[in-house]
Amino acid sequence: MRFGSFCALKDVDFRVERGEIVGLLGENGCGKSTLVKVLAGVNVPDEGGSLWLSGRQVPLPLLPGQFRDLGLSFVHQDLGLARTLTVAENLVFAETASAKSRRTINWRREVRRIEHLLGSYRVNVDPQAPINQLPPVGQALVAIVRAAEELKAYRERADVPQSILFLDEPTVFLPENEVEFLFDLVRTIVREGASAVFISHDLGAVRALCDRAVVLRDGELVGEAAIDAVTDRELIDMIVGSASGKLVGRAHRPAGGTGPAAATMCEVDGLRGGRVRGVDLAVRSAEIVGIAGLLGSGAEDIPYLCFGSRRSDSGVLTVGGRRLRLPRMRPFDAVRAGVALVPADRRRDGIAPTLTVAENTTILVNERYTRFGRLQARRLGDLVQRLLEKFDVRPRRPDARLGELSGGNQQRVVLAKWLEIDPRLLLLHEPTQGVDIAARAEIYRLVREAAAGGMATLWVSSDFEELATVCDRVLVMADGVVRAELTGDEVREDAISAAVYYYSTTAASVLSDPGGHE
Amino acid sequence: MSATEAVPTTDERERRPGPGGPAAGGGFAVLAERLALPTAWLAVIVIYSATTPDTFLRWSNVSNILGSQAVLLMLALAALMPSLVGDFDLSLGGIMGLTATVIAKLNIQHGVDIVTAGVAGMLVALVAGALNGLFVVVCDTNALIVTLGMGSVFTGVIFWLTENNTLIGIDPALSQWTFTTGLATIPLEFFYGVGVMLLIWYVTSFTPLGLRALFVGQSREVARLSGIRVARIRIGGFILGGFIAGLAGVLFLGTTGSADPTATAPYLLPAYAAVFLGATSIKPGRFNAIGTGVAVYFLATGVNGLQLLGAKNYVQQLFYGAALVAAVVLSRQLRRR
Repeated sequence: MRFGSFCALKDVDFRVERGEIVGLLGENGCGKSTLVKVLAGVNVPDEGGSLWLSGRQVPLPLLPGQFRDLGLSFVHQDLGLARTLTVAENLVFAETASAKSRRTINWRREVRRIEHLLGSYRVNVDPQAPINQLPPVGQALVAIVRAAEELKAYRERADVPQSILFLDEPTVFLPENEVEFLFDLVRTIVREGASAVFISHDLGAVRALCDRAVVLRDGELVGEAAIDAVTDRELIDMIVGSASGKLVGRAHRPAGGTGPAAATMCEVDGLRGGRVRGVDLAVRSAEIVGIAGLLGSGAEDIPYLCFGSRRSDSGVLTVGGRRLRLPRMRPFDAVRAGVALVPADRRRDGIAPTLTVAENTTILVNERYTRFGRLQARRLGDLVQRLLEKFDVRPRRPDARLGELSGGNQQRVVLAKWLEIDPRLLLLHEPTQGVDIAARAEIYRLVREAAAGGMATLWVSSDFEELATVCDRVLVMADGVVRAELTGDEVREDAISAAVYYYSTTAASVLSDPGGHE
Repeated sequence: MSATEAVPTTDERERRPGPGGPAAGGGFAVLAERLALPTAWLAVIVIYSATTPDTFLRWSNVSNILGSQAVLLMLALAALMPSLVGDFDLSLGGIMGLTATVIAKLNIQHGVDIVTAGVAGMLVALVAGALNGLFVVVCDTNALIVTLGMGSVFTGVIFWLTENNTLIGIDPALSQWTFTTGLATIPLEFFYGVGVMLLIWYVTSFTPLGLRALFVGQSREVARLSGIRVARIRIGGFILGGFIAGLAGVLFLGTTGSADPTATAPYLLPAYAAVFLGATSIKPGRFNAIGTGVAVYFLATGVNGLQLLGAKNYVQQLFYGAALVAAVVLSRQLRRR
């Protein structure tokens, strides 16, 4: 296959041979997903690219659904299964949908056939079990079997000379010891005559499965090598870039007590829950601490666990001297203790789109603006006007519905709402996602300003440049624990990135000093 | 499922593109939408006054319209409670009937004085509402399904208690306090309904509690993540809904003087029609008390005039249904523009 220039891709030249498993590696935003989307017909590439399949040129852009005629099949991270339907129903539906079959379905026969089919791939799941009752690995296996059957159907068609399976980070949510089931299945499929592209940022997984690794960075192909001929360190250098050096951060040391004189404002002890398997951390007054980690590292769970919006199994949060037992804490208790949360999914969790800017801004504090239980409209109006000025929300219309504002302005309102309670601890998760550049800089400034007043901040982001810009200190998470801490002049984008990939790699356990691991 | 989904106006708003901000729609369009329903009401009044001036405008007819709809107004306000916080309660007609039955049974068959019987009836209504809240909120189930089932349970209890007969001979004092005594010949129960309506309007518009309920109703997850105790507010919605439905039962008993086991169920759908119709007006896209009240009387006026013009009984069903569908479709079209 050959590609020309795409929006997020520049001159990516990338081949897949028959019967080969290629690992496609790269950081977030390197263009991996753009590549997949172009092939799936979701994104339209710029003029000038070309796509060759089995020696024939295919005109770009591809139409949605055209990938079927090209012999491509995709397994995305979310798997795309109907979660309440059974395994058999999902698999039968996939076949009948593509074959445009009109005959009625004999379910007893179909279930027997599916049972046989799953057996032929050595996949041990009950065809009559609903998808959502299977363990994650079972779900992934079903999705891959479905893709494999698609590929088999392509091969039976005379007009499709190739069949390529794209696996888009399917292992992120799987326990490490079960990944091997999935790899076995992929190997079986490739033996039967398909090729596979395995997209991942896990070096260990790519090494275990793939024949060849291809690395993208900033939309460019920066290297490729047979997997046996390249070391992990060389791959990390390719993924992260030349400047990474050998700086991967010091092994994690218990925070607090070692830093400057500022008092500890917030402490988390023994936090477990979700993908987090034991995290202790401390944030000093006025300090902004970043948490970096790949998807599945547990970093993305920290804000919600600390806010009580997701149940933790154990852990204690100490904020401004108050001890809160996290498994029993609710968001209500968090807010009362002065903890604020800016969630990543703004449209679902952050704003009430049908309510006005004024209502959204003041929901946390309106009780302070009452007289004999009645809201004081004028004082509230003054407050909203002042906040719109301070946070530069546009348009300055308190009665506009928040859903009608741009993403950046919505996020300013979310920040205004939370900072107005003078939080002791501010939890941010991807606060600049879907936000324009001007608003992004403004958000950095506003959080810094608020932090200067003594607030402790935990900033979780997959944008390492952002963490390097705003944070005083960055913790690196992998496998649900804090692996490293970057302080002082180590807080740089390349250093964060290097540390994240270094510690997220299974091979890291061999390379790193034993002190850094549990 | 939340009740707001049923109102197409809420999510449509956020999709409305706003070049140059929300002001681009113009103040007039907004105002027109807010006042569409009251205007329609006024139009209906003018048309009927012109066509049947000697019957429609007569004070006895006006007080008849106002008084006869007090039970429906009260039940619509009951239905408004869970709707405000994003829930549904289809058992409110059952709660209303159950309250009336319990009071009648105690008063007529067991000789309990009307005040004690009334208190007992209202307690039953509270418990019924609390049970709904328990099953829907605490057990985290689908409100539509559970309250449909609970409504059937309440209806079953009504038939069991009454043994399928209408209980006649309620203490006339109850009728005096609600229906037969009037202020300017309008029955007192009308003023009870308006009082409850104004109280709900005040609390929802001018208190922090009302704003919290609004957040819970419009964006439940955001409310939860803002530290609002969502479960409490939702359970409160069910309990208050049950309580107000109980009040509707008391008014019903006072108005008819008897507890007919089959008479209360048909009130539920008109009540919800008024709630949804009300949500297209006054504060479009939001369930609101004044809009609900206006809708109840818009519907009643429309039907009354048609009946004066000689229409048969079925016109009520036709008019209620058509008005609701028309209002919802129109307000959606207005937004698409």
